[in-house]
Amino acid sequence: MIEATQTAISHPEVAKITSPSGVELFRKELQSRLDPNAPLIIVCCGTGCQAAGSAEVVDKFKQLLSGTDWNGKVIPLVKPTGCHGFCSRGPLVIIEPQDLFYQQVTVDDVEEIVNKTILNNEVIKKLQYKPANSKEVIPKASDIPYYAKQTRLVLKNIGKVDPTEINDSIVRGSYSALASVLTRMSPQQVIDEVANSKLRGRGGAGFPTGLKWESCARQEGTRYVICNADEGDPGAFMDRSLLEGDPHSVLEGMAICAYAVGSNRGYMYVRAEYPLAVKTLNIAIQQAEALGLLGENIMGTGFDFKVTISTGAGAFICGESSALMASLEGKVGRPRPKYIRSVEKGFRDSPSNLNNVETYANIPDIITNGGEWYRSFGTERSSGTKVFALTGNVYNIGLVEVPMGISLMEIVFGIGGGIPNKRALKGVQTGGPSGGCIPIPHKIPDINVGYGKLAEAGSIMGSGGMIVMDEDTCMIEVSRYFVNFLVEESCGQCTPCREGLIRMREILNRITQGEGREGDVELLTEIGNFTNNFSLCGLGTSAANPVLSTIRYFREEYDAHIRDKKCPSGVCKPLFHYDIDAETCTGCGLCKIKCPVKAITGEKKKTHVIEQALCIKCMECYKNCKFRSVKIM
Amino acid sequence: MKVLNIILNGKAVTAKMGQTILELAREHDVFIPTLCDSPALEAAAMCRLCTVQVIEGKWPKYVTACNFPLRRDAEVVTDSPEVRHGRKLIIELLMARCPTSPELQRLAVDYGCDLERFTPLNDDCVICGLCTRACEAVTGRTLSLAGRGVAIHVDTAFQKASTFCIGCGACVQICPVQKIKMEDVDGERRIILHGKIASRVKLPQCTSCGKYFGPVIDLKQVMERMGEHLIPPPNATVCPECSRRNLAIKLGKRYFEQYGVFEEEGQANAG
Repeated sequence: MIEATQTAISHPEVAKITSPSGVELFRKELQSRLDPNAPLIIVCCGTGCQAAGSAEVVDKFKQLLSGTDWNGKVIPLVKPTGCHGFCSRGPLVIIEPQDLFYQQVTVDDVEEIVNKTILNNEVIKKLQYKPANSKEVIPKASDIPYYAKQTRLVLKNIGKVDPTEINDSIVRGSYSALASVLTRMSPQQVIDEVANSKLRGRGGAGFPTGLKWESCARQEGTRYVICNADEGDPGAFMDRSLLEGDPHSVLEGMAICAYAVGSNRGYMYVRAEYPLAVKTLNIAIQQAEALGLLGENIMGTGFDFKVTISTGAGAFICGESSALMASLEGKVGRPRPKYIRSVEKGFRDSPSNLNNVETYANIPDIITNGGEWYRSFGTERSSGTKVFALTGNVYNIGLVEVPMGISLMEIVFGIGGGIPNKRALKGVQTGGPSGGCIPIPHKIPDINVGYGKLAEAGSIMGSGGMIVMDEDTCMIEVSRYFVNFLVEESCGQCTPCREGLIRMREILNRITQGEGREGDVELLTEIGNFTNNFSLCGLGTSAANPVLSTIRYFREEYDAHIRDKKCPSGVCKPLFHYDIDAETCTGCGLCKIKCPVKAITGEKKKTHVIEQALCIKCMECYKNCKFRSVKIM
Repeated sequence: MKVLNIILNGKAVTAKMGQTILELAREHDVFIPTLCDSPALEAAAMCRLCTVQVIEGKWPKYVTACNFPLRRDAEVVTDSPEVRHGRKLIIELLMARCPTSPELQRLAVDYGCDLERFTPLNDDCVICGLCTRACEAVTGRTLSLAGRGVAIHVDTAFQKASTFCIGCGACVQICPVQKIKMEDVDGERRIILHGKIASRVKLPQCTSCGKYFGPVIDLKQVMERMGEHLIPPPNATVCPECSRRNLAIKLGKRYFEQYGVFEEEGQANAG
């Protein structure tokens, strides 16, 4: 029976779709073969969950299900899907149609799930999700605040479809937008619809997508459609999830773009560090071409669009448009010093339309539902939704998709579940190495996430990295981290970026080592402004943002490091020591047990003392003290 | 062709469509400092020393004069305090990397640079990329910028002595800090980069005087680059000096032998 269900969906009689209306017929046929009440075991197989062992969970499920006696009942289908986004709780298993949510499932739990939940409809309590600070479990995936408070448009298929099975995507509506574009819209109408949606580039800079397509369509000669999947910001993985979980919406978006700008050649530049995404994409392209949805003579309309995957070689700078195109041409991935836009002269000196993965993934929905519909999400200046990779000091780490204009506090506390370990929020870093730190809630009470508002606060939207920082984060260390990253990742050809970053790193190293001098902050500001104004490409002109924004909002921390030789957050090791507060210490002895170097002494129920000469400042006592008696001095 | 109205440092001038700011400035005797620019090579805009401010719309933006093409009426400011300050920093930073460029030394005085501000990096290169671009124009395969970020440096492929080098010495000539050296020793020409032999090119020995001269050029490459204008390969068995002397003897014999002033000496080994 399991074989039967899988065969039904993977080997259709339709060999190739030869007309746009064929997509709809094919979908109806596929739908008619599906039983909506059939049990379904969805296993998240995103990179995070795979690392935690979800592939083994899938194998175990398949093995157990085929070995069970079903007595005529419908055998559940095991479906490995892309990243569900809730990575901190992985591997995730969702049992349909009950919508039961199981978290952190291991191979050993599989047998129990099959025996109890699948066969006897019993819920396994220990695998259910319990929100922070609550004892009540939330059984259904759709009720978990992390999911319930999101608006999933781009991510709608992820976690629902098997990315290696095109029919699964077609059932959920993939390629219907392309079919309608090819039958009832002219290229100009497509561009108008995209322009009407006010969609802005999701790669970070926020250039209006419709405008870009329009200027590309106006050019003469061979045009190229390129997808930028060289996602490199530390901690960001939106594009990877999309490519691994729903490759067809990206491919469909690219095909629609190709139709609009008059191109028949597409390239996908994926970073080499995403092997799963490359594999999934290759399968997706193969399957789409076999069905006649990509490649030559798409849906019998005579429109050709061939997509080729090209992998990077591990350079962050290749996410910059001209460097990406140089790399695509087989040259060294360095930004070119020409004042000409790539929509005029890009890849192979031909007009090239380069958009981010998420931008393309938005297109099919905009075509299907209209630009007006898309604009109903988000704000006037920033329409639609944006996917963020929420990480750092927050309970729920993972991918979140929210409408633009949402309050940042809502993302951190409503969706993210707040800050663990009873710490206070200090700020949120957005935009990766080109972004800045937003000091919510102390210096800015809250901010509505949008291109303009973030820029006002000295940060950028960026590709969607969002790092939550609690009070134990040292802002100088944060900016040192990003500068250090950029020193390695800058292409190094222009003086301001290369030399400026080297000097900023030198100064920040000195400050965190306790050797900061008077005037260092002024020098940092001077170099930072210079780097941002004089550099060649987008990386250089935003390289100093992490430094400048932390100086802007956390100047007193710099001063504490330089003047008082103190790190108030207890991060820069030479600049602080731990002390136990005699008044609040209850003498529970937990710190003494936790200390790896036995630097803490004290009798039970009496104040404990830290032997400073032995202390290695590992934070164990500080993190574990229930009474917050260990103080940073 | 469309003529553009440009205000160059407050003076109204006209520019050709697509002309770079540097060309325009030189036409009007406005000095813009450059380091990585060479009239023989395509602009790379790497040193950023020629950065100026352009106002095409509302806001001034920073662009490099060497490769910014004027396409609209605009205002150009080549010497504003902001620009001068940025250039000063570039000079200070580059001087801290490698202090031996005479051009930078002169500019450091002009811009009142504080050369003590940054700790020296003790490199022997200012990473202007001139040698790599010159090499690309000549052979295209010997020197290139390797590494990225802090690690960027001029190098040969895989840090091995190159086999593509034709020993033309263009890199040596163009280097603004004179840190690429060329030596002719033991019958070979060596290009020395960062104190290491970057290439060895064999030198032919003069069949007339026995001196080494050269280098032996892979003529195929040169011919390919010349395209249709093929010339027969020069006879390269005699050094230029002997060649000149032999020719003089030949001419001398032809015109002065009749006067009997010419004694038999040397061989008439025409070259």
